[in-house]
Amino acid sequence: MANLKEIKRRIKSVKNTQQITKAMKLVSASKLRKAQEAIMSARPYALKLMDVLNHLSARCNKDLHPLLDDREGNRWLVVVITADRGLCGGFNGNIIRKTNRVIEENSDKEIQLITAGKKGHTIFKSRDNKILHDHSGWTRDFNYLKASEIGSTLASLYTEKAVDRVYVLYNEFKSVMQQEVILEQLLPIVPENMDAGKGAKVAVDYIYEPDEETILGTLLERYMTVEVYRAFLESSASEHGARMTAMDSASRNAGDMIGSLSLTYNKARQAYITKELIEIVNGAEALKA
Amino acid sequence: MAENKMQLSIVTPERLVVNEDVDQVNVPGIEGDLGILYDHASILTTMRPGQLSYESDGEKGRETIHMVVSGGYLEVTDNRVIVLAEAAEFLDQIDKERAKTALAKAEEVLADTDLSDDDFEKAQHKLFRAVARLENTEDN
Repeated sequence: MANLKEIKRRIKSVKNTQQITKAMKLVSASKLRKAQEAIMSARPYALKLMDVLNHLSARCNKDLHPLLDDREGNRWLVVVITADRGLCGGFNGNIIRKTNRVIEENSDKEIQLITAGKKGHTIFKSRDNKILHDHSGWTRDFNYLKASEIGSTLASLYTEKAVDRVYVLYNEFKSVMQQEVILEQLLPIVPENMDAGKGAKVAVDYIYEPDEETILGTLLERYMTVEVYRAFLESSASEHGARMTAMDSASRNAGDMIGSLSLTYNKARQAYITKELIEIVNGAEALKA
Repeated sequence: MAENKMQLSIVTPERLVVNEDVDQVNVPGIEGDLGILYDHASILTTMRPGQLSYESDGEKGRETIHMVVSGGYLEVTDNRVIVLAEAAEFLDQIDKERAKTALAKAEEVLADTDLSDDDFEKAQHKLFRAVARLENTEDN
């Protein structure tokens, strides 16, 4: 009897949990849509910027600019993008694991971190990693302005020669179910990426104001900032995708659990009824005799 | 499409703001304002924060639309005008109060004589931007 009550209580608690996970799934779904829209609407700017960069880089001396200066050195800076919240499957874990692997594999390098997201920050703070900056709470309201702040910090660290290489580590959005951890080099800017469109457009005679080199200089920093912005947007879409999948399977598991608990409950109830019937029948038999 | 129109697209990192056919575009170039008409020579320039306007045929006939851009790039090729701005706002969407606070703040910073070149440049950029935003609202 006590058993019956207990099962009933468990069913109720699982049902509550299921409600929460279902709600979280719906919220993530709508946030995911927004995040995907943000990625889409960032695309034209990035493409046009690439266009301009391609055609400029084809006609200037690219070795001059400090952001292109590929110097030997072992001071690395890695921007690690995680989420602020958990309950999103392996999303944060994958990033943290990859970061640790990168640090292990490059033990001869001096690696500093910039963390974005509470989850990564708390983990790396508790270890002996050097954290240069922290951008916890970025998921709340992220916009281009923030990306450009981070971008210009990175650019000035690099031009002051405080670091020799800058990477960004983030989850790339493949699909709702799938994210891929990507380690991308931000600085020095890899010229191959820029030469992709070279020669495609035979340049008309352009008027340049002020002059090619100056424009290229400001463009390069902006290009890097756009890359940073994109990485953050990708990460945000991945996070919501991951959470949606995690919450979906959690809801499904809760459903299964409710099913099996209901079965046990009904069985127990049936057993109880049968037992009572037997008792009544037995009592009647005893009276008859 | 009518004759002698240029295709204008204004894009910011957050969205595509404008994409239409226009007759004339006026932009705040780094070395002075530029008026761009049909068959303009190819040009690539940086912009300072300031006001941008373009003329086109709207529903109510010919209109001039004013915007505020916060610096960026302008490219003109084959009658295609591309404006890459960090931010672009339509005139009627400007928050006057915020612009005023920004202006006061920038002036305060600039009053400091020990400013480094970098900080000076940043504050000046902010000042330009605030002035541009206020100018527009007061004109109308």
